[in-house]
Parts: sequence; C-alpha cells; structure tokens
Amino acid sequence: MSGEESAKDRKTGWLDNLIITKRMLGIALIALGMVIVIGTFAVDLFGVGKWGGIGPSQRLAIAGGVLIALVGVTLIPLGDRPA
Amino acid sequence: MSISAGNAKPNPLDLILLWLGRILMGLAVLALVFLFVVFVILAINLIQFPFDYDQGEGFELWNAVLFSQGRWIYTDNEVYPFYSSLYGPVYPLLMTPLVALFGPHIAVGRALTFAVTLICGGVIYSIVYRETHDRLMAVIAALLFFASNFVYQIGALCRQHMTMVMFDLLGVALIARAVEESDNRRAHRYIVLSLLCLMLAGFTKPLALAAVLAVFAFLFLRRPKWAILYGIGFGLVVGLVFWLLNVATGGYWVTNMITANTNPFVTGQAELFYRQWFSLHPVITILGFGYVLYTIYLDRISVYSLYYLAAVAFGALSGKWGAGLSYFVDAIVAACIGTGIGLAVLRRWLQSRPRKRRPDQPCWKSIGLTAYGIVVPILLLVQFRANLHMPLDLPLTRPVAALLNIPSESPNRFRQDYFDTVGYTQLGHLTTDADIEAGYQIVEWVESTPGPAWTEEAMLSLLAGKDEVVTDPLVLYNLYQNGNLDVSEMIRMIDAQEFGIVVYRARFYPIPVLQAIEENYGLVDQIEMNGFVYDILLPRTDVD
Repeated sequence: MSGEESAKDRKTGWLDNLIITKRMLGIALIALGMVIVIGTFAVDLFGVGKWGGIGPSQRLAIAGGVLIALVGVTLIPLGDRPA
Repeated sequence: MSISAGNAKPNPLDLILLWLGRILMGLAVLALVFLFVVFVILAINLIQFPFDYDQGEGFELWNAVLFSQGRWIYTDNEVYPFYSSLYGPVYPLLMTPLVALFGPHIAVGRALTFAVTLICGGVIYSIVYRETHDRLMAVIAALLFFASNFVYQIGALCRQHMTMVMFDLLGVALIARAVEESDNRRAHRYIVLSLLCLMLAGFTKPLALAAVLAVFAFLFLRRPKWAILYGIGFGLVVGLVFWLLNVATGGYWVTNMITANTNPFVTGQAELFYRQWFSLHPVITILGFGYVLYTIYLDRISVYSLYYLAAVAFGALSGKWGAGLSYFVDAIVAACIGTGIGLAVLRRWLQSRPRKRRPDQPCWKSIGLTAYGIVVPILLLVQFRANLHMPLDLPLTRPVAALLNIPSESPNRFRQDYFDTVGYTQLGHLTTDADIEAGYQIVEWVESTPGPAWTEEAMLSLLAGKDEVVTDPLVLYNLYQNGNLDVSEMIRMIDAQEFGIVVYRARFYPIPVLQAIEENYGLVDQIEMNGFVYDILLPRTDVD
C-alpha cells in the first residue's frame, strides 16, 4: 500500500470503506427475525394485547420474523459478495 | 425443428413462432393501451363533474381554499365550523395557486391528480428505460401501472394519495441515481433531492414511511456512512417541521394528524385487501417478486426491490379502520418497475447465451427466446384480464365487452353501466348528465336556505356559495370514537336550528350528533346522484 493510499484511508475512516456483504446482511436479518419473534412473545409477558395466548397479529408477526430469519440464513452462503 | 438449428436459415416453424410472438405482444400492448384510454376517458368525465364523486374530495379542495385565504386547516373541531383536516398539507398547498387562479372548482384537484398520475407513469417508464435501455419493456411497465384497477379508480380523484406515490417514486428514482454517480458532489445533490421528495411525500400522507425506509435501507447497503449522517439530518428536519406545524396550529396538527388517524385494526380486513390486491395483480406481483429474488441472490439488491418489499409490508396497514385498497398503490408501482426490469434482464440474458456448438445439440438460446416471445405477452394478457374494468355503454368499450363475454347485468355491481374485476365498487363508473342535474337540484336546496349548511359533502356547500364548509364527518367520527371530541357546541347549534339545511349521504357522524339532527330536522326530499341517495332535511319548525 502506498503512503498516499494509507493517508487517504486514515482520512476517510473505516465506515467510508465499509461494504455490506450478503453474509453481513444475512446475519443482520437473522438477528432482526429473532428480535421480532422474541419481541412478539414478550408482548404477552407485559400483558399487552386483547387476546389470551397468541393472537392473530402475533401469529402474523412471528411468521414474518421467521421468514426474515430464513431469508437471512440463505444469504450467508453467498459470502463476501456485496449486498 | 429449427429452434434447434442455431445459425441456420430460419425454417417455417421458426417464422410462425416468431410472428405468433409478435402478434401476441401486439395484442397485449393494444389491450393495455385500451385500459389506459379507459382511464383517460374517466379522467375527462370526472374533470367535467362538479360534485363529490368520492366522499372526501370536496374537503381536499376546501383545504386549498382555506390555505388561499391564509387560514390553517388544522383547527379545533369543537368550535364552529367544526372543521379540520386529517391529511398532510402538501396536496392542498399544491392546489392552492390553482384554486387562486381558477376558483374553487373540484376540476382543479382532479386535473392535478390526473397530471400526477401521468407523471408516475412517466417516471416508471424512465426508470425501466434507464436501467435496461429496453423501450418496449419501459412502455409496458408504465401501461401495467395505468391498467391497475386501483390506479384507475383513484388516479383522477381530488385526493392526496397519488401525490404521495409520485413523491415516493421520485425519491426512489433519485436515490438510485445518487449511488450510481461517480462525482460525489452530484451524488449528494441527488440524495438531497431524493430526501426532499420523501419529506414532501410524508407530509402528503404518512404512509410514505415505506418508501423512506426503503431508501435509507438501500443507502445503508451502498453507502453506510452517508445513510447514518443523512438519516440523522432527515430525522431532525422532519421533526423540526412537525414541531413547527404543531406550534403554529396550537397543537391541532397532532390532534388531527395523529389522534384523528388512530383507528382500530380490523382483524381480517388487511387479509381481505391482500387477497384482492393479489387476485387483481397476479402477474406483476409474481414477476415483481421474481425480480426481488434475482437482486437478492444473483445481483446487488436494488432500491426498487426494497421499495417493493416495504410497500407490500406496509399494505398491512390497510387493516386499519377507514383504510382502503389505495394502500397498495406503492406496491403496484414497485411491482411494475420490477416486472419491466426483470423481463428486460431476462431477455438480455437469453440473448447473451452462446449458440449451440454441435448440430445435434438443441439451441437453448433460440428455444428460450422463442418461449419468451410467446409466454411474456400471454402473461401480459392474463394481467390485462385480471385488471379489466370499463364503462359498458361507450362505442369504444361495447365491442370489447362483447368479445370478452362481459354480462350486461350483474347483481354484484354498484352501477350496471360499469364492469370491474374488483366486483362491487363505488368508484370507476362514468358520471352522467342526470347525475349533474341531480347535483344541482341538491345545490338549489342548499342555496334556498339561510345560514350555514350542514352538508356531508363539501362541494354542495361550496357550489351553493356558503361562506364555510361545516365539519368533515370522518374527522369528527374518528375523534369521537377515540374519546377526543366534545360535541356539546355543535349539538347546541343543531338544537337551536342554526343550520338552514342538513344534507346526508351516509350519516357518518357521531351518534349524539345524528340524534340531535333527528330531533330538530325533518326529511323533505331525497335525490339520487351518482348512485347515492341524498337526504334533504330542514328545521322541523319549517317542515311542521
């Protein structure tokens, strides 16, 4: 790496050079899906919602969370390709 | 079979299949052009119709009139004239100079929305053409947008939804340009313009949040640092405008934009709308998803894919009481873009396949292109049939209705002179001279009575020359249901019979208000206009 390039890198910082890859996106989607699923169950712990047990909106949210996580899983094998 | 013959001179079967594809594509484009012409016919018809066609149009116009008088549209619903708006200020502000120029005519708003809808089609064309350089697919994508039942029904109404969609679309298109720009200064200019469009979209209708999320997610994927910095800036500017509006209106901005829009979620309604959206747009929905999958797994994720996913997800908000099918227009726009780009990419990919190397091998390139040439127009024709809608009494549409075996009478129709694959719908039919005549009969009633008029539609008061439009029933109803409206002052005025006349269309008011009117006003006439019966009520002292 030339002195000029490293000076430029120092100036711009890591966030400027960050490339979001398919793998990174996959991991983020898995995390997001899990947060949605856990959060939806947590709603009942705090007694929010009018339904006893898991209501229709919660079922929809859980399905959405699982779907997002599954899409995330399929992205991980795509590796370092830019998202 | 010469589709396996590679570079050899095409044989008759090849030529037959080639021309079959061309004829089918010609038919498909013609069918979509037919639906575009039907849309233009409706727009011209509505621009000539001076009354409310969809309840709420007149209130949008009245908002522009109030702005032109230098008055706010977010006010106290508990004080005469008990009027406030529950929509953003951008659409009426766009109408304001036109109202000042041409007067308070509903045609102004409808012509504006019609122009906005045409711009949306133009932007879809330009996006698909810029991404693919395929002019035919760009035209088809725009025509598919105009073919949608939902776009047809609201694309020339004096309502704000299409304006939000236009700003969403411009925001999406500009951000796509920004990330492709190698010159950073120009890229920043595109981003600022994109965010400005998105802010205008959000202050037209908050549903624009779907496009905002899509744009920032896309910017984060391509330029994470810019996404964070611009996200902070955007949030601060939007928050500041929101706060200023609330301060300037004495808090009635929040009352009317937030409280009056906080309606219960009706279980099953969103599911019903999702089913209807898919059944009316099966081809573009599936092809749009195909394009999304292509960008996720085989290419880089595009802003159009994220826009589509966000718009489909936000369709769930159509389950809110009072919401409608218009909540899916963004999803339709994105699906049309995805369909256009996706089909063009597929054709380019097929064309780039190598020709066969040995004479005994099938030539997959030729087979693929031939299949593409036949299957794509068939899919477009399937989409056309799923979207089919037309007035049945026009010389242009009668032969098409006969050809497609559309029944002339059906119990499932709001008007027998109009067919729509939606089924029962109160929008889409053409208005008649009899409707206009009936409308002016109602206006005569309003004109002939002294004092303010309590009319459920704004145009009846405006055309009668009344100084004020009294109430927007939907706002009153929502606030009352939320426990945020004291109706005592309006009931006092009703009890004192201070309103010269009451005109009902749907009796869409809080129950105590309806009871007070029932006690103090009596029915004197019923007039049918545009498929609805309008009840004319006068003070009981006059009736008795």
